[in-house]
Amino acid sequence: MTHALFHMPNDIEHVSDMVGEIMAYLADRLPDLQVFKAEVALVEALSNVVEHAETTRPAEPIEIAVRTDDDVFAIDIFDPVGAQPFDLREHASDLGTVDIWAERGRGIGLILLCTDEVAYGPLDGRNRLSLKFKLETAE
Amino acid sequence: MIKITQMENGITTVRPGVERLVASNAKTFKDELIELVGSGSALIVLDFDGVSFVDSSGLGALVGVLKRIGNRGELVVSGLNADVAQLFRICRMDRVFKSYSSADAAVQAMGDRL
Repeated sequence: MTHALFHMPNDIEHVSDMVGEIMAYLADRLPDLQVFKAEVALVEALSNVVEHAETTRPAEPIEIAVRTDDDVFAIDIFDPVGAQPFDLREHASDLGTVDIWAERGRGIGLILLCTDEVAYGPLDGRNRLSLKFKLETAE
Repeated sequence: MIKITQMENGITTVRPGVERLVASNAKTFKDELIELVGSGSALIVLDFDGVSFVDSSGLGALVGVLKRIGNRGELVVSGLNADVAQLFRICRMDRVFKSYSSADAAVQAMGDRL
C-alpha cells in the first residue's frame, strides 16, 4: 500500500490547486476510468468541507491522505481541527431527484455517484471523510 | 473573467475565461454573464473550448444564467470536452442546454432558428 499526505488551507481558492496536485499523484496509479470519478468526487468533497465545516479556527489546514492498494484506493479528508462534524451522507440527494432547474444541491449526489463507498466519523480526535474507489480496468 | 469572442446577428459568443469553472470562480462567472444579459445580449453561445473541468457550482451558475434569460433568448454551449460532456449527462444538463461541437456550429444553428 502506498500513502501520501497533502495539506490545503481552508479556503475555496485553494481547492483547484490541491486537486491538481493530488490528481498528478494519482494519475500514474489509476486507470483512466477512475481519474474522472476521483477528480469529480475530490473537487466536490473539498469544496464541501470548506463551505460547510464550521470552525472557530479557520487557519487550521485540511489534511488529505491518499491510500492506494492492489484493488482499491481511498481519499481521506480530515476536517480542519476545531470544525463541527458534517456528515454529508445526511444531506445527500440522489442526482436523479434534484430539480433540473436548481442552482445548488448536486455536489453531494456527485460524490456518492462517483465513489464506491463513503464513510465519515471520528479518527484520532479528528473527523474523517473517507472516499473509497474500487480499481477498475477497461476490458 | 469572461471573454466575448464574437458578436454576430445578435448572437454573442463568450468563453468562460478560465480552465476550470468551479466553486471559487462560479459566482463571478455568473455575475458577469448576467451583466451581459442585462446589457441586452439574450442569445448567447458559451464556448467551453479550453475548459477542462466544470463542477456542480459551475453547472449551477449556468442554470442561474439561463433562468435569468428566461424566454427572452437562448443560451447554448459548445466545445465541451469528454469529461465536461459526461458531467452534463450525469447531471441531466444535456436536457437543459443544447450542445454543439464548436462555437461556429452553435452560431450557425442559432442563426438558422432566428
